[in-house]
Amino acid sequence: MTGEANLQNTRSSKNAAPKKRKIASLNKRKARAGWLFVLPFVIGFVCVYLPIIVQSVWYSFNKIIILTGGGFETEFIGFDNYSYALLEDANFNETLVTGIGEIIFDIPAIILFSLFMAILLNQKMVGRAAFRAIFFLPVVLSTGIMETIEAQNILGSYLDESAGIDDGSGSSAATEIVSAMDVQNLFSNMKIGQDLVEYVVEIINNIYDIVNRSGVQMLIFLAGLQSISPAIYEACKIDGATGWETFWKITFPMISPMILVNAVYTVIDAFTRENNTVMSYISGIKTGTSANMPDADGVAAAMSWMYFLIVMLILAAVAGIISLFVFYQRRDD
Amino acid sequence: MDAQKQNSAPKVTKESKNKIKVDFERSPLKDRLKAKFINIYFLQNVIFKLFRFVFLLGIAYIVLYPFFTKVAGSFMAPEDFVDVTVRLIPKHFTFDIYKAIWSELDYLDAFKNTLLLSLMTAILQTLVCSLIAYGLAKYKFKGNKLIFLLVVLTMIVPHKTLRFSIFMHFRYFDVLGILSFLSGGVFEGFSLFSANAASDVIRTLATEHSLNLTNTFFPMIILSITGLGFKNGLYIFMLRQFFSGIPDSLEESAYIDGSGNFRTFFQIILPISIPMMITVFLFAFCWQWTDSFYTNLFFTRTDFNLLPKIVGIPTSLQTEYAGQNLYYAAIRNTCGIMIILPLVILYVFMQRFLVEGIERSGLTAE
Repeated sequence: MTGEANLQNTRSSKNAAPKKRKIASLNKRKARAGWLFVLPFVIGFVCVYLPIIVQSVWYSFNKIIILTGGGFETEFIGFDNYSYALLEDANFNETLVTGIGEIIFDIPAIILFSLFMAILLNQKMVGRAAFRAIFFLPVVLSTGIMETIEAQNILGSYLDESAGIDDGSGSSAATEIVSAMDVQNLFSNMKIGQDLVEYVVEIINNIYDIVNRSGVQMLIFLAGLQSISPAIYEACKIDGATGWETFWKITFPMISPMILVNAVYTVIDAFTRENNTVMSYISGIKTGTSANMPDADGVAAAMSWMYFLIVMLILAAVAGIISLFVFYQRRDD
Repeated sequence: MDAQKQNSAPKVTKESKNKIKVDFERSPLKDRLKAKFINIYFLQNVIFKLFRFVFLLGIAYIVLYPFFTKVAGSFMAPEDFVDVTVRLIPKHFTFDIYKAIWSELDYLDAFKNTLLLSLMTAILQTLVCSLIAYGLAKYKFKGNKLIFLLVVLTMIVPHKTLRFSIFMHFRYFDVLGILSFLSGGVFEGFSLFSANAASDVIRTLATEHSLNLTNTFFPMIILSITGLGFKNGLYIFMLRQFFSGIPDSLEESAYIDGSGNFRTFFQIILPISIPMMITVFLFAFCWQWTDSFYTNLFFTRTDFNLLPKIVGIPTSLQTEYAGQNLYYAAIRNTCGIMIILPLVILYVFMQRFLVEGIERSGLTAE
C-alpha cells in the first residue's frame, strides 16, 4: 500500500517536474526518504523520550508531592536531593564504589568468555547446532521475571549442595575431593599472582551468571567470526602459521571491532541490570524512607543521574581505550 | 620393464557408458590405518576434540541445570522437601503445583493477555526498528550520524533509571500540550485496548487535562512504534549492520525498474532479511514475555493479569511445615516454568533462525 502510494507520488512528481523546472536531485530525494524512514524514531525521541529525560532531571531537583485527588505538584529544592544522596545517605557512596568495582571486574570476564565460546561454537563439530541452541537459551529465557525468580531461588542450591554420595557426615566425599578452595590454595601456594587467582576463582564460582549474561555477546562475536573470509585462514595455513599465530594475527584483529561493540554492550548491560548492587540500592530507596530524606522519588532520580553520569564516563573511557586498538579492514580501497 | 609399468599404472576399466572404474594399487589396510591414526597430529586432534566436547558439555550442563532443578522440583509433593533422600527425582510424583497454578492463578487469562501484548509489541518493534535501521543504513542524509548517536543514547540510559518519569509521563499523558485543548469524547476509541472502563479514561481527561494511559496497552504501543521500547537500540543496531551488508546495486536496480523507496523496502529488502527479522522478533517477543519492569510499571491493576505477575503461592498450597520455604521456592519455580514453557516451544522452532539470521548479517562495525 505505502509502496504503491509512494510510487505514485514519485511518478506524479516526475510528470509535474518539467513544468516547474525544479527537480530535486536524486540525492536530495533520497535524503528526504531517509528522514521518512527514521521519522518514527525522531518523533518518538522528541515527543516521548526527551520530555521523559528532561522530566527525570527536573524531578531530581524537586520535591514531588502526589496530591490525594490525583495529579502531583513539584517544589523546587535545588541540589538538596543530590546533597542528601552524597552527604547524608549512609550507604550510597560506598554502594556506588563497590557496585561499580564489581561490574568493572565482571566485564572482561564476560567478554573473554563469550569470545572463547564463540570461537568454539564456530568450529565444525558433532552437535554444534545443539550446543548453540543450548547456549543461546539463557538469552531468551533468563530475563525479566525469570531473573527475579532465580534471585530468590533457594531450591536450586538445596538440590545442589549435597548432590552425590551422601556419606552421612553432612557433606559428600565426592564434592570435597576437588573444591574451589583446594584449587585456590594450590595456586596461592605456588605464589603466582594472588589477585589473578582470586579473580579467576571468582569467575568460576559465578560461571552460571557469566554464561547467562554473555549470550548476546556470543551471538555478536559469532556473527563477526562468520564474516571473516576463509581465504585469509587458508593463506595463513599455507604460509605455515600455527593456530596460536592465526588467532593473534588474524582472528583477533578481525574481531576487534566486535570487541568494541561487545564492550559497549556489556558495559551498558552490566550497569543497567536491575539486580546489580547500585540499581537495586536505588530502587530500594523508594521503599525505605528515612525521616530527613527530602523526597524518595527525587533522591532516587538524583542518585540515578549521578550513577548514570558515571556510567557515561566509564563507557566513554572503555570505548576510547578499546577503539585505540581496533583494526578496521578497509574493503573499499 | 613393460610389466612393471603396467603394474604401477592405475587400471582403468570402462564400467558403463558414462562411468569408468579406476583400480589403484593400494597399500594394505593395516598400513593405511597405521599411517592415519598412529601419529602425533591425530592424537593431538583427538585430545583437542575430546576436551572441547567435554568442556562444551560441562557448560551446557551449567546452563541447563537450573532448568532441571526447576522441573524436578515442580513434580514434588511437600513431603519430598523434608525427605533428605530425595534429590532430583521426586518420590511422591504429583501434578498438584501445576494444577493449582493453572486454576488458581488464572494462568489462561494471563497467558492470553501476555500473548496479545507480546505479539503486538514484538511485531511493532520488529517493523519499526527495521524501518529506522534501514533509513540509517542506506540513506546518507544530514543528521544520520546524529540520529544513530541518539539511538545509542536511548540504549545507554536505562529505562529503569527513568522509571518514575516514564510512569508520570504515561500517567498524565499529553503530547506537547495538545491534548489539554481537546475534550474527552474524542478518545472513546482508547477504551478498546483499555483494561478498565472507558469512562475512567474520559473522566481523567476531563478532570486533569491529560490522559491516564496506565493499565492500557498504549504506553507499550507508543514506546514500540517510536523505537524506544526495551532494548530497541540493540535491535536497530543489529538491523542497521545487517542492512548495510546488503549491496546497494539491489536497490539501484529496483529504482531503475521504477520502484519507490518504500516499495523497494517492503518487496525487495524485507523478504531477503527474514532470518534477521525473525531473530529480532524472537528477542522482542521473549523479552516482552518475561518482562516484569514494564508490566509492573504500566499495569498496576490487579484484575488485569499478565504472566510475569502470576508468580505467587496458590492459596490451596499454602502450608505451615518444616519444608515450607523450599516448597514455596518450588512453587515459584513452577510458575517460572509455566511462564517460559510457550517460549521454549517457540524457541525450538525458531532457534535455527537465531544463528542463521546473525550469520548472514555480516555484522561488522564500520
